Amino acid sequence: MLPEKLPEDSDTARAASPPAAASVSGLSKSFKGVRVLEDVSFDVGEGEALVLLGASGSGKTTILRIIAGLELPDAGRVFIHGRDVTDTPARERGVGIIFQSYALFPRMTVEENVGYGLRIRGRPRRERREKVESLLELVHLTDQRKKLPSQLSGGQQQRVAIARTLAYEPQMLLFDEPFGALDAQIRVRLRREIRALLRDINVPALFITHDQEEALELGDRIAVLHAGHLEQIGTPEEVYNRPETEYVATFLGAANLLLGVVAPGRRVELGAVALEAGAEAARFREGQSVKLVFRPEDVRVSKSGELPADCNPLANGVVEEKHFVGAYERLSVRLDLVARAPRPGEPPLYEISEAPERRLGVPVIVTRAKPEAAATPLRVGERVTLCLASFRVLPNFPLASERGGRVH
Amino acid sequence: MSAALSAMKHVRGFDPAKPFGLGLVILLMLPLVLLPLASIFIFGTSSGLRSFWAALMAPDAIFALKLSVVTSFYATVFNVVFGLLAAYVLSRYTFFGRTAIIVTISLPTAIPTAVAGFALLLLWGKYGMIGQYVSEEHQIMFTPYAIILANIFVTFPLAFGVLMSVFETMDKSLEEASATIGATRWQTFWHVTLPSLRGAIVTGALLTFARAIGEFGSTILVSGNLAGSTQTAPLYIFAKFNEGQVEAANAVAVVLALFSFAIFSFLFFARDWIEAK
Repeated sequence: MLPEKLPEDSDTARAASPPAAASVSGLSKSFKGVRVLEDVSFDVGEGEALVLLGASGSGKTTILRIIAGLELPDAGRVFIHGRDVTDTPARERGVGIIFQSYALFPRMTVEENVGYGLRIRGRPRRERREKVESLLELVHLTDQRKKLPSQLSGGQQQRVAIARTLAYEPQMLLFDEPFGALDAQIRVRLRREIRALLRDINVPALFITHDQEEALELGDRIAVLHAGHLEQIGTPEEVYNRPETEYVATFLGAANLLLGVVAPGRRVELGAVALEAGAEAARFREGQSVKLVFRPEDVRVSKSGELPADCNPLANGVVEEKHFVGAYERLSVRLDLVARAPRPGEPPLYEISEAPERRLGVPVIVTRAKPEAAATPLRVGERVTLCLASFRVLPNFPLASERGGRVH
Repeated sequence: MSAALSAMKHVRGFDPAKPFGLGLVILLMLPLVLLPLASIFIFGTSSGLRSFWAALMAPDAIFALKLSVVTSFYATVFNVVFGLLAAYVLSRYTFFGRTAIIVTISLPTAIPTAVAGFALLLLWGKYGMIGQYVSEEHQIMFTPYAIILANIFVTFPLAFGVLMSVFETMDKSLEEASATIGATRWQTFWHVTLPSLRGAIVTGALLTFARAIGEFGSTILVSGNLAGSTQTAPLYIFAKFNEGQVEAANAVAVVLALFSFAIFSFLFFARDWIEAK
């Protein structure tokens, strides 16, 4: 369904198959008997920005600390530019970390902080001054050079931290929740600035975040982590449009999930209706329990029953709620999926509550952009037909780790 | 604050807890702390500054004060250097028995100083467990070294405690950042860790010094209390008082008291200033 539609964006092309600047393979780590990483492997390409996305406790910070040399893995190797650095101390790895707290040295001025890497390397004073000068220009902090970190704003401190790592020409930059401590508006501006800066200096970067919007905007590729497992890695388009697990689908953006069964003829049966699923269904055997996953914005709604040609009919439903949420309109539509009477002895697919005429069926969330919402206004209680512009059929396991042999 | 106070007044009217409570506190403080201290100064100057000065300038008095300052100074240097080492090792590495070491180091705070002095005698004395193997001319008990040893024993936990608490609350990412930037352990310690410890080092040193200069219980046992040789200032006060020379004792007491005031005020008022520097 979707692969043909992947937009040929410049980002996608760039991240196609870059040579690995850094890679980790088979990383595992436990803290006090608790597994925080389980067999994690990925590459970061030359000049690429990879985002590790995961909730807190997913192990993303541990990966970053292992790459930096601040933590030893129990198993697995770390390579930077082809060199195995697993047993190399942090100071010899040439990796720059921008800590969430920035970790600027509080008693050094901005220029002393930036020049620290050159000072401890014993570089001559002149060279140090010139380098610091050019770095302060790069991050637009020349005016603040004599100030102490505590006299700067959060964004400025972060730029000092970046300049401080760039001073010794790191082979890789690691950003630990770089925007966590900043307020929302500055955050958006800063991540664009950092993105532009990274393009200029062409150093591979690894970001850590729990913010999906940040991940989509910053990353050439995104690696989604959950409980120490790598769920999926791919370009933002791939991960968002073609999630491989239910966890990825729900963690990155909103998703509707409907439980179904693969039926003959590459169809997915959802209660009373069947959806033509084509190649998506072909990946499963008949009778297998699956989940139909689709984004709210991929649902088309029609009052007349006429549907666009390239849209897979799903079911009829009733508009139950309507909210105006700024840029778009959000509808809750209750699908007529369980009109079919259950066979004798068969458990009902969905709980039916005390008000059957209203509660029958499954609610799905639909979002419509302003022009569409204005062209065909809908009222609560109106009956509509729904079709899907794109969707995924996923195995009925939320996590990648539950699929293969690695069931815990 | 003031709004809350005036609101309370409005609700409850006159609040007797404030004048009575405050009065009681001051009445308690007066005989317990203020009057005894005041009496040293009142007595010291009662027979004129000239006789006070003469009492202070007695050779044994000057020697006692000097000995106290010098032994306390060496104890302070030892405490800062090894306190830093101990706190660094114990806060930066985890190993079996770490807690046991921390408890052991801190133990002398809870031991009566007379017991500490006695214990040192039993170990280092001429017939002590180690002392019996030391030749006559290298005996350390009843020498100024014994005073330093006793001072260290009694005051090390103070310096260690101050340094350890700062080490443990320090933002570890500073040291980690320094390491990833390429600094060696020593460079990180010198450029990053030590500057953050400046306030703690000053505090630890002053606490040690203030405690050591007034140390009595352990020094009276290990020093031998020989006037002009191993008699520290507190021992001098005690000895002169026993001999009935109250004026001589008082002169040294005034100096020690002033000294403590100075250190205390510095700790109280100047610490923020050092920290901020």
